Amino acid sequence: MVDALTRSMRASHILVAILVVASLIFAVIGVANGDTFYLRLGTEALIFAGLALSVDILLGYTGLLSLGQALYFGLGAYVSALVLMVTPSFWAATGAALGVAMVVGAVGGFIANRVRGVYFALITFGMAQVAAKVVYNTRALGASDGLIGVPIIQINFGFAAISSASPAGFFLFTLAFIVILYAFAAYLLDTPFGRLLIALKANERRVPFLGYDTVTPRLLAYMIAAVIAALSGALYPMLRGFVSPELLFFSTSGNAVITVVTGGVGTLVGALYGGILLTLLKSVVGSYTEHHLVVIGVLFMGAVIFLPRGLMGIVRPAIERMLARRMKS
Amino acid sequence: MTAPVLEVRGLSVSFGGLRAIDNVSFAVARNRVTTVIGPNGAGKSTLFNLISGAVPAAGGKVLIDGTDHTGHTPNHLQAAGLARSFQITNLFFELTVAENLRLAAQILEPMRMALRPVTASRVALARVDELLERFDLTEKRAMPVSKLSHGEQRRLEVAVALAGKPKILLLDEPTQGMSHGDTADTAHLIKSLASDVTVLLIEHDIGLVMSLSDTVIVMHQGRKLAEGTPEAVRGNPDVQSAYFGHA
Repeated sequence: MVDALTRSMRASHILVAILVVASLIFAVIGVANGDTFYLRLGTEALIFAGLALSVDILLGYTGLLSLGQALYFGLGAYVSALVLMVTPSFWAATGAALGVAMVVGAVGGFIANRVRGVYFALITFGMAQVAAKVVYNTRALGASDGLIGVPIIQINFGFAAISSASPAGFFLFTLAFIVILYAFAAYLLDTPFGRLLIALKANERRVPFLGYDTVTPRLLAYMIAAVIAALSGALYPMLRGFVSPELLFFSTSGNAVITVVTGGVGTLVGALYGGILLTLLKSVVGSYTEHHLVVIGVLFMGAVIFLPRGLMGIVRPAIERMLARRMKS
Repeated sequence: MTAPVLEVRGLSVSFGGLRAIDNVSFAVARNRVTTVIGPNGAGKSTLFNLISGAVPAAGGKVLIDGTDHTGHTPNHLQAAGLARSFQITNLFFELTVAENLRLAAQILEPMRMALRPVTASRVALARVDELLERFDLTEKRAMPVSKLSHGEQRRLEVAVALAGKPKILLLDEPTQGMSHGDTADTAHLIKSLASDVTVLLIEHDIGLVMSLSDTVIVMHQGRKLAEGTPEAVRGNPDVQSAYFGHA
């Protein structure tokens, strides 16, 4: 017996499968044309989609608006860059990013989860600003220039290796990486633990009377989101060969929220489609005018007014109905 | 003579100088219906808030099966076997009826089920089906709670409180706002619960109180005014003057 929440998650899986197929076609076309620019842009879109995914876990499932998710994204990027400059190992870089994100996420979550609503948003914003200023003023971290000269790496699987310099290879690798992060989040959110997060979003005050502690699940959700943001960020220096303090700035956090709202809050897959849409828009509009943020802003306002449930808020229910019909027959 | 399943000793709380609950003591016998009555503002709901850990008490003790649970949080009290419903329907309105019950019933599962797919929690899902049947909500199982009628929401409120198989069930005006027919059905249901659950009830419908209760506790201005069988309480002159004023 599959209930409505599991059915919506399955609808998200179908939409992710469509995205994967489209990405594979995109990669084949890219390789056939000897393209580098669009494959690299697509890779960046997927990396920022991973950041948006972490925002949706908090906003769409736990009911927490984080305005500072760039803290963990930037943290992952910097840790990854620092490790890669010492030892060019993918596993060491992502492993370190994962470990640091868990520790910092536990501390940040402990602080931020003491408050709710707008105060939670402000604390997450404040923590990210503090981190950004510290990085910006620390010479050892390259200060305002960031860290330049992250080497090209071979991602070694034992049986095969992918170079981070290969446009199509690293694009496909990033696609697989982000899909695994999605699958992890989607699995977790459809367990009783994940349903408890949804209950916290729906009516936090009732939850303790059902016998559940509310502090630990909220902290765990925050840490999981921190880890997903940091792992996405860890790919950034592999793609671009540098990291800069902008990765920690509010514009990064804010863009991630815009991505989720445009793509569809509480759908997970909306973060992926939103991330791709926003990165493409920024690039395409940015090639015509330097005032591309104005266009993004107007589009965001339009999305909030005319598509309050986001892109996936329109598409996904149709797929859910299809699934419901198929289960009945 | 077995120990009372729930005992309250000298419970007190003040809100800004007002003694909302003033030194209230009573014991609740196992698998009986005990009803708290009293005029508006007598402190009935506040009493429930103190017992269920929603509001910390300033003084006094709450004992469950003889063990001190004073000052415990609602989730710890639930683990000790005490659950409650709310006077103002307090559910997960955007979630389905079945999911509301599953959330409450999931507590019956061991911790390790928390990270397995929801469908693996067989005990919880069986409990959901059982409660849907018992509370006549099977046809509404896939409906969001916000789409239910008021009476259905009130029934679900009781069902959710019962889902975790508590020993003690605190029901805060379960028939609030219900039609006559629904009220009678709910009374029947509460009576049937008392075979395996101890019920502490707040109720305004005097007819229902008299037919349902084994013991009645009368509250007035934060104090316990009287306690006894329905007949004894009805004949008590203090109770009559509290309800109707002096002649």
